Amino acid sequence: MKSIWKNYKTDIAYDELMCSEFQSRSVSHRLCQYLDSLKKEDIDKRKIAAELAIMEMGISFTVYSEEGNIDRAWPFDIIPRIIDAREWRIIEKGLKQRLTALNCFISDVYSEQAFIKAGKMPAEIINSSKNFRKECIGVKPRHNVWANICGTDLVRDKDGIMYVLEDNLRVPSGVSYMLENRVITKRVFPELLQDIDVLPIGDYPTHLHDMLSSIAPHQNGHVTCAVLTPGIYNSAYFEHAYLAQQMGAQLVEGKDLVVNDDDCVYMRTIEGLEKVDVIYRRIDDDFLDPEVFRKDSTLGVPGLVRAWKAGNVALANAPGAGVADDKVVYAYVPEMIRYYLNEEPILPNVPTYLCSNPDDLAYVLEHLAELVVKPANESGGYGMLVGPHATAKEVANFRQIIQKDPRNYIAQPTLSISTAPTLCKGKLEPRHIDLRPFILQGENTFVTAGGLTRVALKKGSLVVNSSQGGGSKDTWIINGEDR
Amino acid sequence: MLSRSAERLYWLARYLERTENIARLVSVHMNLLMDLPKGVEMDWRQLIMITASEQAFHEKNNIANERNITRFLLADADYQGSLFSSLSAARENIRTSRELLPDEAWEQVNEMYLFAKNNLDTVANRRQRVLFLNEILKGCQRFTGLLSGYMSHNHPYRFIRLGVNLERADMTSRILDLASLLLSESRSEEMRQYETILWMNILKSLNALLMYRQHMRSRVQGGDVLNYLLLDTNLPRSVGCCIAEMAGCINELPNSNDLPEKLKELESYVQAINARQTTQKQLREILDGLQNKLGDLHGQIAENWFLKEVAG
Repeated sequence: MKSIWKNYKTDIAYDELMCSEFQSRSVSHRLCQYLDSLKKEDIDKRKIAAELAIMEMGISFTVYSEEGNIDRAWPFDIIPRIIDAREWRIIEKGLKQRLTALNCFISDVYSEQAFIKAGKMPAEIINSSKNFRKECIGVKPRHNVWANICGTDLVRDKDGIMYVLEDNLRVPSGVSYMLENRVITKRVFPELLQDIDVLPIGDYPTHLHDMLSSIAPHQNGHVTCAVLTPGIYNSAYFEHAYLAQQMGAQLVEGKDLVVNDDDCVYMRTIEGLEKVDVIYRRIDDDFLDPEVFRKDSTLGVPGLVRAWKAGNVALANAPGAGVADDKVVYAYVPEMIRYYLNEEPILPNVPTYLCSNPDDLAYVLEHLAELVVKPANESGGYGMLVGPHATAKEVANFRQIIQKDPRNYIAQPTLSISTAPTLCKGKLEPRHIDLRPFILQGENTFVTAGGLTRVALKKGSLVVNSSQGGGSKDTWIINGEDR
Repeated sequence: MLSRSAERLYWLARYLERTENIARLVSVHMNLLMDLPKGVEMDWRQLIMITASEQAFHEKNNIANERNITRFLLADADYQGSLFSSLSAARENIRTSRELLPDEAWEQVNEMYLFAKNNLDTVANRRQRVLFLNEILKGCQRFTGLLSGYMSHNHPYRFIRLGVNLERADMTSRILDLASLLLSESRSEEMRQYETILWMNILKSLNALLMYRQHMRSRVQGGDVLNYLLLDTNLPRSVGCCIAEMAGCINELPNSNDLPEKLKELESYVQAINARQTTQKQLREILDGLQNKLGDLHGQIAENWFLKEVAG
């Protein structure tokens, strides 16, 4: 019988499942053997079954395009990505450490600024940050936690080491897809999940609800939580509705809420006004409250920040938390871990050149063709340059853009990010992937078992964002030691 | 419960009920026309009369034949009242209120929508149209069963029941309006000959033939049918039953204000009807009045519970 793995290439980058065409990694051994035992038609059938399930479950995301907004079915690859539980435990520790330090930093930025006073970071970086909100100075959120929900992007380079690519501290999305991916895998490969011990992930909504309850302004009795969505046309609306439903929380839009003279937040219900204690807001700071931020926002709630500052409502994440979600600030996270926690970072950063720093800038301009350049404050993979994949004209163009606004750009070496076997037209081929675990911090800290693995479905592409041709995979943390 | 959610669930229920009603109406009418000889004053045009869509139909179609009328009522995405438009609107409403409903509710409606969307072309053909309509009717019934079996009978459920019953009462009154034509003094001899079949058809379009037989234990007669479909409080699609259902929901909902009172008035209005002793003209006036009152009731429900546009 012809092996499904014949001609599988493992020399492009580090492959998560295979050491070579003939040899799987020990952690993925059973999966690879199982896949090999299936006929090609069987695999195709499972893929079709997954697509049908996605259609029926209505898992979609919205692409904003010139022809209007299109709801696309979520592109899902049925071959799971596997991580050894022993490695995962270290990563988990590293993620908790990192978010703890980041929250210390945000608290510090909005109070003493001891980090800056100690000379660890130029004040200029904070003062010029788009996401630094002076309105937040002096506010003390519960447990001193500003970023309650964090999605950290990890990539594995050719050396096999997992690096932190960025910390998403504003409104990270994707967790519902992580959960739904597992639901689909259970439908598609029920026999596999029976045989292999994969850590469960379905408890995320419970942990999210616990975390939100733990930050409520009062701790006596029933806490009313709401998920604040920009509305039904937002690209992540599916996720907002999904999380609200799973938590049993109210899904609200700005117009459902009102802040009264008592500086408390209320929902408009069929029984009149009902007080809200905690809001998981999925609206950017800019649009949150027209009284404080953008005046033209119709998505937000006038007075919301006032109610938050008065301590009558908890907002997750807190306004202003995005100050640490900046690719320039990112470069300082290892130093934050040493400074606030007196520990060595468990997870390494990708080496980063700050264009605001003249020496770095000179290096970057000289080596543009081999670097990845990113704007400090964008997400979704927009506005970046991947040097080795860019034309000479694009490189020249970017050179000018950087020189105009060096503070807003950072550069990193082009990583050879790892691959995983992905079903492409009935054949298994290596495709580049990353990983976004989700970390919750309130009274306690929780990390999802795995996270959302995103995959660049186009051959050779390194861009995993769903808006740009990316898909996703189920992520398995396997407890190898028990066997 | 949010006012906005109450509104979406109410409309979700109305649109799905409308979807089911159109499917049953077309399906029953198709059966009837197969029974009747050509030349009787009954044809496909009655369907666009019931749904008050003659104008919309004639704007886009020259000939009122079976093919055009069924396509218009079932598959026309531009006509707001078509089955497909109603189903699409129901889907949009359920997509945006998923957090209040069992998971399967969304999947069920989404599946039905995908089925309809992929099979819109098949409605031109009679045999395939039967299959299409059966699938839609089954889907709607599954949805109803799913909610009654899986969903707490809480406030969100009450708004759904409210929407279902208002839409249902409205459709029943429209069908009775058409039926009243059968009482016309000027009806043809041929029509009189087929009268029983026509009345049976009216009952079937409301799924009420068997229940009527059990209830009346006599042959099908016009006045009895009308009374049964207006006054009975046990038959789910009779106007009297819809009103009782709505009253039940409204009495359980908070801040109902003067709505229970309005429902009582409506109930008295309906119970005062006796179709055996009214002329066709009187009956049509009564039914017109009923439709207006149902419209007013909708306005009062919206005014009372739904999100008002916030000024500024």
